[in-house]
Parts: sequence; C-alpha cells; structure tokens
Amino acid sequence: MNISQNYVSQIIERISTWARVNSPWAIHFNSGSCNGCDIEILATLTPRYDVERFGIKLRGSPRHADVLICTGPVTRQARERLLRTYEQMPEPKFVVAVGSCGISGGAFQGCYNVVGHIDEVLPVDAFIPGCPPRPEAIIDGIVKLLVHIQNGTRPAQVITPGVQEAA
Amino acid sequence: MTTETHLQRAGEILAPFVKSTNNPESNRLDVQIAASDLPAAATALTDASWGYLAAITGMDLGVESNELEALYHFCEGAAVTTLRIHLPREGCPEIPSVSDKIPVASFFERELSEMLGITVVGTPDPSRLFLPDDWPPDVYPLRQGFKPEQAAALESAKAPEPDRAGNRFIVPIGPQHPALKEPGHFEFTVDGEIITAARMRLGYVHRGIEKATEQRNWIQNLYLLERICGICSHTHTSAYSQGVEKLAQVEVPQRALAIRELVAGLERIHSHLLWLGVVAHEAGFDTLFMYSWRDRETVMNLLEELTGNRVNYSICSLGGVKYDIGVEQSASIHKALDYLEERIRYYLDIVTTDTAFLQRTRGVGTMTYDEAIHFGALGPTARSSGVTRDVRLDAPYGAYKRFPVSIITDDRGDLEARFVVRMKELLVTCFTIRTIVDNLPSGEIATKFPRKIPAGETVSRVEAPRGEAFYYIKSAGGESPVRLHIRTPSLCNWTSVINKAVGHQLADAPMLIAGMDPCFSCNDRMVTVRKNNVSNTLTWSELREYGIKKYGQRK
Amino acid sequence: MTPITALLSIMFFPAGITLILSGMLYEWADRKLVARFQNRIGPRWYQPLADTLKLLTKEEIKPHGINSLLFYGLPIVALTGALTAALYSPILGLRPVSSFPGDLIVTLYLLSLLTMCMGLAGWNGSSRFSLIGATRSLTQLFAYEAPFLLALLGPAIVAGTWVIKDISAYAETHWMIFTQPVGFFIALIGLMGKLELPPFDAPEAETEIVAGALTEYSGRGLALFHIGKSVELVVAVSLVTAFYLGGIGNPLLFLFKTLVMVLLMAMLQSMLTRLRIDQTVGMWWRFGALLALFQILILVLLKGWLA
Repeated sequence: MNISQNYVSQIIERISTWARVNSPWAIHFNSGSCNGCDIEILATLTPRYDVERFGIKLRGSPRHADVLICTGPVTRQARERLLRTYEQMPEPKFVVAVGSCGISGGAFQGCYNVVGHIDEVLPVDAFIPGCPPRPEAIIDGIVKLLVHIQNGTRPAQVITPGVQEAA
Repeated sequence: MTTETHLQRAGEILAPFVKSTNNPESNRLDVQIAASDLPAAATALTDASWGYLAAITGMDLGVESNELEALYHFCEGAAVTTLRIHLPREGCPEIPSVSDKIPVASFFERELSEMLGITVVGTPDPSRLFLPDDWPPDVYPLRQGFKPEQAAALESAKAPEPDRAGNRFIVPIGPQHPALKEPGHFEFTVDGEIITAARMRLGYVHRGIEKATEQRNWIQNLYLLERICGICSHTHTSAYSQGVEKLAQVEVPQRALAIRELVAGLERIHSHLLWLGVVAHEAGFDTLFMYSWRDRETVMNLLEELTGNRVNYSICSLGGVKYDIGVEQSASIHKALDYLEERIRYYLDIVTTDTAFLQRTRGVGTMTYDEAIHFGALGPTARSSGVTRDVRLDAPYGAYKRFPVSIITDDRGDLEARFVVRMKELLVTCFTIRTIVDNLPSGEIATKFPRKIPAGETVSRVEAPRGEAFYYIKSAGGESPVRLHIRTPSLCNWTSVINKAVGHQLADAPMLIAGMDPCFSCNDRMVTVRKNNVSNTLTWSELREYGIKKYGQRK
Repeated sequence: MTPITALLSIMFFPAGITLILSGMLYEWADRKLVARFQNRIGPRWYQPLADTLKLLTKEEIKPHGINSLLFYGLPIVALTGALTAALYSPILGLRPVSSFPGDLIVTLYLLSLLTMCMGLAGWNGSSRFSLIGATRSLTQLFAYEAPFLLALLGPAIVAGTWVIKDISAYAETHWMIFTQPVGFFIALIGLMGKLELPPFDAPEAETEIVAGALTEYSGRGLALFHIGKSVELVVAVSLVTAFYLGGIGNPLLFLFKTLVMVLLMAMLQSMLTRLRIDQTVGMWWRFGALLALFQILILVLLKGWLA
C-alpha cells in the first residue's frame, strides 16, 4: 500500500510540476522603475515576441498569479505595496527581478529614496540583467526559471541570459 | 515679436516690483523681487498674457549666504523671465502661493515645500507630492548638508521587515500598520457617478535624482538622467547636454545637432505608438494594442540599428553625439519610414472613423482653449485644444532652425482631438526625419568638451513627446552641477486632467488620464474613490474594467 | 437508461470528463483564433488543461471576514449547474444524455446559475469592491442573459416544443438561421456577453474574469469557476448550433459547426473596434431584447394563425 501511495503522490507531484511550468501566470509590479523595463515586459506580449506561447498570462490580481515580475529599484513608497502584493499571492510563487535596478539599484544606487535591490525586500528567484533587458532576454530568463522549477531546484544564483550559468 | 521685445515687455510689466534685474543670457531676464510682491508680480504677468509658468525651482544658496532662493520661471516664446526671491534659511521661510491664479503652481509649490522646507502660504494642497509618507518631518533633501541617514523612516511608520532564516524568507503577514494607509495615486471623491473632487499623490517613482546629480560629475549625470524615463530618455539627455553645452560655451557641430533631432523624431514615433497601444488597451481594444506595438517594433529596430539599444539609446554626449549615420543606415531609415507612414495613416483613419473608439473619445474630456491656457497644459494635450505651444516652434533649439517642424493643432479639445494631433504629428515627424537623412550637414559628430564647466546658470527647454521638458542647471565651476532642476511635462498636464476630471463620470477617468499620455505604468496605480466619506481603493485594472463596463451599458 | 449507464454517462462520456475536456478544447480554439487575429501565434493545444491543473494545485487563500460557506460553495454550485445543463444539451453532436418535457427551461436556468454564482461571489468578496460595484457586475451579466434566453426560445416556439431533443430534431430539417437571422445574431452576441468575451480582454485578449467578481479567488475555487465557464461555453454553443444551424445530425459535422461559431466569436472579439459592441449592451436591453421579444411575438402569432 505504501509503495502505491508513494507512486500516486509521485505522479501527482509530476503532474503539478508540469502544470506549474506550463502555465505560469504573471503579475507585473513597478516599484519605482523608469518604465524602460516595463515597456520591454509589455512588449513580450505583443506579436513579435508573444509569450502566450509559453502559457504566460498577465493577470490583474495577485491572487491569480504565480510569478511576480518586479522592476525598478524599490522606492520607499513602493516597498510596502510590493510586500503586500507578494503576500497576497498564493503558494507556490516565484519572483523575477527584471533590470539592473532590481539587482543593485542600477543607476540609482545611493539615491535617498531608493532601497536598492529587490532581493532585500523579497526572495528573488531570477534576476534578468539589462538596462533594460531586451524582450528576448526577459523571455529567456523566465524560461530558465521554468526549467529550474521543472527540475525542482530553486535557483539561487544570478541567471545571465546567453552566458554560461555558474555551476 | 522677437525675444528682445518679449523681455522688454516683461521688464515693463514687472517694473513696479523690481528690486534688481539681470540678463544672464540673451534670452533670459532675471528679476529680483520681494516675497510679498510675488502674487502681484505673477498676476501682472498672467493678466498681460505674458507667457506661462513653466517651473518653480528652489535652491539652497549655502550656509555662508544663509539664504534659500525660489525661482519662478515664466516662458513666452524663447524668452524666459525668472522671478527670483531670496528667503532666509533659518526659521520658517514663507512665500505666498500663486496657485489661485495659476493652478499648475500647486504641484510646484508642493515640491518646493517638501524639498526645501519653504512654507507656501495659501497653497490649496500642502501635502507631500514626491516624498514618501514615512519621511521624517523637517528633513529637506535639497538643502545642503542633507544626509540620507537623516531620512531614516520613522520608527512608528516602519514597514514590517521580512525575515531571513538561512535561505528562506519569512514574510510577516499580519494586520496592516495603522500609520500606513493604502496608498492611492489618485483620489476621486464621487457623488453618485460624477467626480466632484480629484487629488493626486505621486512619489512611487521618486528616486531622488535631482539630489543625486550633485554627487555625480557632468558626464556621469548623462547616464543617470537617461533613466528618468525609459520612454523619453533622449529628451532628457538632449536637454541636459544642451544646457551644459551652453554653460561651457561650446558650439556643437551641426551634424551632431541634426542627428539629435533625428533620434528625437524617432523617439516621438515610438512614444506615440506606445501610447496609442496603451490607450487602446485602456479602452478594451486589445487588437489595436497588439497591432500598434507590432508596428512600433520597426522603430525599435531602427533605433537599435542606429544607437545599439532599443531603449535608453544614449546617443547624446556632451559636445555632440556618439554614433554617426552612414549610407546603410539612411537606407534603413527610409525603408522603415515607408512602412511606418502607411501604418500611421491607417491608425489615423481608425481613430477618426472607428465608431466604438469614437464613442469613448468624441466629446469626452473637452478642454477649451482658455482652460488649456489656465491649467498650463503642455504638449499635444495643449495643442489639441488649439494652443500653439511647442518649444520646437517657440524657441527652436539644436537643428530645429535648420529643419523646422510644422505644428499640428486641433481646436476641438476632446480626447479624439488628442489622438488626431498625435497621429498627425507623427506624419510630420516622418517627413522631418526623411529631410534630415537626405540633408545631413557634413562635419564632425562631436567636439572637445571641458571637464569642468564654468560657473553660471542656464535654462534648457526641449519638446518631449509629452510636452515641454524644462531644465535649470547651475554650475559653480566644478565637476558637478550645484543644482539641477528638472520639470517634466507630465507634471503640468496632471493639473489639467485633475481639474477636468471633476464633472466627468468615474468611468471616463481611465481614458481621461490615459489621454494626456502620462508617464505610463498603468498596471499598478491605485485609485481611491471617496463616496460619502467612505473610501474604496480600486486597482487600476478594476478602474479600467469599470470604465469598460460602464460604457458597455451606456445608452 | 440503467443507473450504471446513467452514472457512466454523467461522469465520463459524454458529460463529465469528456465534457470538461471538450470545454478545454473550445477554450483553446477561442484563444488561438483571437491570437491569430491579433497577428500572434497563441497558446499550445494543452494550455487550458495546464491552466486548470495548475489552479487546482495552488494554495487557496480565503480572505478574512467573508462567508465561508458561500466562498467554498459557490464554485461548486456553479460548476454543478453547468455540468448538469450539459446532460440535456446535444454536446459533441450526440443526442442529449437525458431529456424530459420542458428541459429547455431547466437548462437555461442552470446556465444562469453559473452567472448568478459568479455575481454572488463578487458580492461576497472582501476586496472592498463596493456593493454598488458588485451590483453593477450582476446587472452587466444579466444584461446579456435575458436576450440570450429569449433568442433560444424563438426556435422552441417554432418547433412547438420545450424539449431540447425535439427542437434539435425539428431543426435538422429547418435551418433557423435563415428563418430567424435576428435570433441567431442575438444569441451569438448574448453568448459572448455571458462568457465575458468582448470588451473585457486582458492584454493578451484572454477571457479576463470580471474585475471584482473573482479577484478574491485563487486555487481550487478559481479552477472550478474556470472549468464551469468552459463547460458553459460548450453547452451554450452546442445549443445555439443545434437550434439555428441545423440540428444534430452527423457528430463530426456538428463539431465543425460549433467550431465555426467559435470562429465567429473570435472574429467579433478581435474586431470589436469595428462594431459598436460596448454600446450594444446598453442598446441591448432596448434594441436586442425588444427585438427578440418581438420576434417571439411574431412566431407565436404566426403559429397560432397557421395552426
């Protein structure tokens, strides 16, 4: 009985992972970005890049989303709302930080109203560097995140599209 | 009337208040006045229809002189008249408000008071504009001697800190802290369906750039200022470069100026197409959003080919531009423009003939000529109400004397007019770009530039896709600016939208706001709707849906 | 029909699992077509399946201070209504699993049940979407409901029966799209409104859930509503096809006809800038519903006069 139970739960696990990887619904949050990254993210929905092919849908409500796509250095005013949005997302959830500002503060490092990396506020699963990263880079970063989810590992290093990942 | 006559006239109008005058540049007149005379002086200029209030700059003149200075810049054509008021640094410096006569001043005054600690007496809305709610009182970022540590959040208002346990994050979920209310960008008070009052609170994207420029040298600032806005980054760099070049008295080669204008034109195309898609999405017409953004990719490709980047092109350098345009690129430009012109004509056709679209735009948000002037509207928002206000025409800069653009206006003033004006502007832009490409002046693309800029101050104005961008740059002879003040066009246009929203239905709000082409990020603005003292907070998408459904029901 | 076969047909074929899977097929067809109209590639064929499975495995967050019974119960009731309605409809081109006199009315009621559950879910939500806002949602949903029902009653009157099976049989010989084009048009638009396909599109023109009604739901509840809507799509499209486009007949042909309907809907969704659809809803109550009523009146009179 135990073996078949295990077997069943394994199958369910595999099916859930498959579903999760193939249907990553996203919510986009701008925590103080100059909009450069935001327009490249929106561009991924448009015909030239079309992320609906990957099952990515942009949702309006955090409760419907699996992936939080966050841009910008976190300004003080936006920080609280960012946290609140993250809280409202049901598990399992992932965070993607798009753009150099989210990684290190970018050009705004040291500015008085800026917290800095998104990593200080939320646990980030994928960083997509660029100022702004091209839509292809954004898609690549998200796909790499999906690959990690599929393998069951939670990425802990910076993923640089096009560059060999650190082991 | 020439610039000189404008300045003369301003001098005459302000004669009763003058304490001293100065002509720092050929197109500028500085008038020192007393704080108490400010409302009268501003009224005198407004009543005589001399220009519009472009910006209010606040400065800390330093511990030695122990004074603050407030500059009120009025622009008429290429002439800039600045009312300068000195205020004591200690105590509670006060200055009277001019918002009753000039509504747009309200935003500027809010900025002035929170950044420098000047109390503006009589201002209608004394709340914070940019600084966050948990910013400690009595800490003013633009004062000299400000240190970021001073601005540590108030203990009581601190947001809950996430916990780290090894690799895991523990985000505290708990009751909301009483000091932190649900933040709203807009606050609409409604009576039934009609908006009776509207307020704005910015600050989500406030990064403290003006202060940061003081810590970076002239060249580093180029890269910082590019990133004020990803959509109009070239505008900011050209305004900045232009201003600094004026201060350094460096003459930029004609070829470089022409290339700057060319890239500015391409930026305008990308910006307006972006806006068209975004507004279409606001109204619920996603097919138009997809199509316009697909066509926008042509411009992005072109920009990438010319500058190496799709966004933040960074083509301006101090003293010229970085990249040249060769034969191959000229051919690409022409080819791309062929396609784009056809598509733009198609979109112009849609916005003028599509019945569903017109239902959301015709007769909505109508702003008359007088209202546009009164509210200080800028850019296409003003031009669609018949106001011929365009820096490229009023105060031609760079290569605009050589390659002028024709101004597009529309006298209907409603949302439809704003669409039409922007689309037609694009057609004009395409024509101008072609002309530039075919007639690029020969020569260098950059010239030598000093590392230290001589002392002085200057005003640099540039026409961004959204309206006039106003830069005030002050140098003390060093490697960094002493003060850099940036007034983006959207700040002025908000005033017109906020005032226009009153009297409209709540369902019209998304289109009204989108119609002025605000700097973006529509997905996560929060809107507070106050009704009978009960307030609800909607997300932007909820407000958009509300508008779409409401129109679905309208007879 | 023995209890065993009844149970099998309810759970597996043609209702139950098969129905749910066909719901996903129709949803995919709709999304793919809309994407194509927008010059995009669109989702993969198993996308709706992945979406549903993912939603079922997500954590369910129940907001504070709202009625638990309603919160958990409404999705279940909604889905049940849709699945039950399918029992009497000619889905997949096969004769209805079961039928009884007057089952058309019951079926239409069951379809409305889904709508009402969504409205109630919105009202129950704690997102501070005011009561007025939720009422607006309900009003909006019902604006499409009534003309849709009326449009289906037209063929019933002509066929002289309230039994779906018999109406479909009658329709096999009479293509009512030609005799009652207005009814067909109203049914099509009403159907799109019920399913919130027109102008409530998300950025990728997907079936966005009405703001407020389902924003509080996550995980299982959302999945159930989602499945319910796909099932509703299948049932409603099958009904309209059966009534207006020549009855049941050959299952493959029927499937083809339903997919043509989906194509029509996708076209309308994408080209809504061309039609005054959003104004149509307001006009709906006056023009559409009245027209449907008028048509019914004519039919009744004609029947009476001819009989």
